Amino acid sequence: MTFDTWDGDDESAAGRFVPLYVLVNGRTAPRDSTLDLATQVVALPVDTRRLEPEYTAIVHRCSTWMSVAEIGAYLHLPLAITKVMVDVLVEQGYLGVGTPAQQNIIDLHLLDSVLAGLERL
Amino acid sequence: MDRTSVKIVVAGGFGTGKTTLVASVSEIPPLTTEEILTEASVGVDDLTGVEGKKTTTVALDFGRITISPDVVLYLFGTPGQDRFWFMWDELAQGAVGAIVLVDTRRLDSSFPAVDYFERRGIPFVTAVNRFFGECDYTEEEIRGALELDPRVPLVWCDARDRPSSKLALVTLVRHAMKRLTARAPA
Ligand SMILES: Nc1nc2c(ncn2[C@@H]2O[C@H](COP(=O)(O)OP(=O)(O)O)[C@@H](O)[C@H]2O)c(=O)[nH]1
Ligand SMILES: [Mg+2]
Repeated sequence: MTFDTWDGDDESAAGRFVPLYVLVNGRTAPRDSTLDLATQVVALPVDTRRLEPEYTAIVHRCSTWMSVAEIGAYLHLPLAITKVMVDVLVEQGYLGVGTPAQQNIIDLHLLDSVLAGLERL
Repeated sequence: MDRTSVKIVVAGGFGTGKTTLVASVSEIPPLTTEEILTEASVGVDDLTGVEGKKTTTVALDFGRITISPDVVLYLFGTPGQDRFWFMWDELAQGAVGAIVLVDTRRLDSSFPAVDYFERRGIPFVTAVNRFFGECDYTEEEIRGALELDPRVPLVWCDARDRPSSKLALVTLVRHAMKRLTARAPA
């Protein structure tokens, strides 16, 4: 049996590709590097009338807590772009941000509640 | 007001049942999100610069399970081609761990996933999908072929079956907890 083992040095066709970052409000990468695709955000009760329609659409989607990945999926936006736009909205006070996944990995108490939640399924 | 996200990665070769497993336990039909990729050498800072440049997209499926009023578990399937390693890095970062689905007809297609999580010390369990009920291999043979550490749990599963997928998830979380407790000072 031959195995396709990854040697850490990806020279395959896909290895030449990186996420496309698009300039959004003068920014090409999220300012808040803890914002990951599972991080949830929620609309804050502020007036959105001055926002551009693309941004308003995000805020409206977040009437309940919503992850960056869900926003991207529902609004058909690529992940990198969704992240930058969400970041702009958080910075400008339109969205509140929850605790991202990567901060909790060592939390046994949290894993306990995840286990209990799964057992209820 | 807080809201905590928890991630689990569902990995394995193409057609091993990743999307099926996510669908069987998710409270919403699996969603798909896309990343647009561009050639590494090109410094793109404007959509107009993309014209004529080589781009490709990579899609990920995911589902969600509400654990409690303030905790949501997201299940992310790895992209179809397991060559997009940087996407795996993003998915694996901060994840509880991974379920590696194994199709007994093509054991080798899940080897890169096993190798990926093993090298990074990320907790994972293997879930052997018995597509047609029968399986030509014993657990020992599968462990041998995948070079599994004896401590890595192996469960038999049918990704279409909710209780079966649930068992794989529960086994993973228990395994991750056991590793955490083992590492903590007594
Ligand atoms: N018999 C059987 N078929 C399955 C099982 N899991 C997935 N399938 C089927 O196998 C095909 C590929 O599954 P999919 O979830 O799309 O694989 P993915 O590429 O890993 O996401 C689909 O047609 C599924 O219906 C299983 O446990 N048993
Ligand atoms: Mg799939």
